[in-house]
Amino acid sequence: MVAIRRLLPRGYLFTVLGIAVGVAGLVALGAMAERITRFIDGGDRFVLGQISVAGEGMGMGTGFTAGGLLRAAKIEQIARVPGVAAVQAQVMMPLDPTTSQFLTLTQELILGVDPAVRMPNREFRELPVREGRALRAGDRGVVVVGADFAASRGLRAGGTLELGAGRTFQVVGVLEKTLTAPDRFAIVPLDDARDLWLRRDPLLVQVFAGGAGGMSRADLNTGAAAAWADGVDPDALARRIQREVPGLNVTIPGELSRLLRQSTAFFSALLFGIGVLGLVIGGLSLSNTVTAAVFERIRDFGIKRALGATDGQLLREVLGEALGVSISGGALGVGLALAVGALVDARVLRDGQQLFLFSPRLLGFALAFSVILGGLAATYATLRIVRLSPAEAIRRGG
Amino acid sequence: MVVRALGLTKTFRGPDGGPVPVLHGVDVEVKAGEFVAVAGPSGCGKSTLLNLLGLLDPPDAGEIWLDEMCVSRLSRRAQCRVRGRSIGYVFQSFLLIAGLSALENVLLAARYVDRPRPQALAEARVLMERLGVAHRGDHYPAQLSGGEQQRVAYCRAVLNAPPLVLADEPTGNLDDGHAAVILAELRALCRERGTSVILVTHRADAAARADRTLRLHSGRLEAQGGERSS
Repeated sequence: MVAIRRLLPRGYLFTVLGIAVGVAGLVALGAMAERITRFIDGGDRFVLGQISVAGEGMGMGTGFTAGGLLRAAKIEQIARVPGVAAVQAQVMMPLDPTTSQFLTLTQELILGVDPAVRMPNREFRELPVREGRALRAGDRGVVVVGADFAASRGLRAGGTLELGAGRTFQVVGVLEKTLTAPDRFAIVPLDDARDLWLRRDPLLVQVFAGGAGGMSRADLNTGAAAAWADGVDPDALARRIQREVPGLNVTIPGELSRLLRQSTAFFSALLFGIGVLGLVIGGLSLSNTVTAAVFERIRDFGIKRALGATDGQLLREVLGEALGVSISGGALGVGLALAVGALVDARVLRDGQQLFLFSPRLLGFALAFSVILGGLAATYATLRIVRLSPAEAIRRGG
Repeated sequence: MVVRALGLTKTFRGPDGGPVPVLHGVDVEVKAGEFVAVAGPSGCGKSTLLNLLGLLDPPDAGEIWLDEMCVSRLSRRAQCRVRGRSIGYVFQSFLLIAGLSALENVLLAARYVDRPRPQALAEARVLMERLGVAHRGDHYPAQLSGGEQQRVAYCRAVLNAPPLVLADEPTGNLDDGHAAVILAELRALCRERGTSVILVTHRADAAARADRTLRLHSGRLEAQGGERSS
């Protein structure tokens, strides 16, 4: 506090604190909006980057998370459809089998993929690894975990992870934070995922034991992701797959994106409201604080006018001080919001969540906002004061 | 500097919004180097007259001339220049800026007339030394006694060597000793620099030091006092 006091023009400490509170509110609300935006955008990018296929009748929600079965023969048929560049069989299931099988936005998932097959998603060619390594062809008994998944359990590369059904995996990598679904993934080799599925589902084991329908391990897929060749319209290709390979539930990327946008419309409206609220609260707090600080010094301005200060000289002086005060208050507010955000996120991270995203654009905007609004408020107040005669300004200032 | 005021009239708005006339067509003339006291009962318009003469308040009617220039008709910006270069003010309540040190308060007078800071700083230190407040240069007004504050305010008023100094009850909050210092300084200004000084005062001893006393009553000038040889 003493250090801050020394840096500021005398008498401005409470002004700076007032601005800091306004900017902190703006930044905190903005960071929550940024977090939601990034999450929705991440999901949108994902669904637009691949054609997702599940077994017939199961739908995207259940089929892709262990509710349905997409047999190997179907996957081979999909691969033969003109325009399909690659198909990756996948097993996806909730980490906690006691929870709903429906895909939720915040659910922790086990994803089984074949590392030998290139990621078919055009938007996520590979998931960035922060620590350790990605899965490799031939891996067994290893897992790569998402950033939130790792943080909520204190996992590091080299550690071990129990994924249920008595299976312990060695953690070989931790993904960078993507702020979308993969942050809560545990990614294992496809065969390991099939093992987990079999161990969890007694009915499935009985079906296998009975040799029903000539099923093999290769048929144990909850879904598949298809990539399209360059120049192919993904929506048209998805419809062609649906037409040419019977018994599938194919998602149309464009339609799914629209559906996702519609289903997240509430969140979009919410974050818009949060943003507007942040601007209004932060803006009012800041401009009110700066204006009040200038009006409080009306007597000083009267004295300076008596000593010969012109409108321009006073305005330059006030703007210079407002700049210093706004930058100090803005920086302090950003620091305050970062501290509060870090404290709250440290708490919610235990549940694998993150509430705030302090992006550089948000912090830059908050600082620019505080400086510009501070300058405008100071200009307004100064122009009001210079209209008064020096004696009147001194009288009003007491 | 010769100061002339013709038909100065000023009316304020009262608490009920009605007009409160304060000055009624006052004519004043002060010669260069003259020390004039303005006396009268409370509320007679002494301070208002001083504020009009110092361009701190605009008159409702009348003209103010400094030498050959009608300053009451100048633009706001030009009046700022006149205030900064030609007029010094000493107020009863000192009117120092709380956030500035004593030295910074004195130097404020030079800031708005674009005087080189090193020159102003040297002169400010000499002035403050002479008035006995140089050792208080780094102190803020709240850390100074009333006498010290008034001496700092006096240094600020005369730093730019203005040809006209207006003093509104400068000794009103001071004990006799400190009042004598300020009055002696004002007297010396007239004698040594040829500065015109207009002093609003209640104190008979202060008025007695003036060359002439103007008496105001209910916003009208009553009579011109006899001249005193300086």
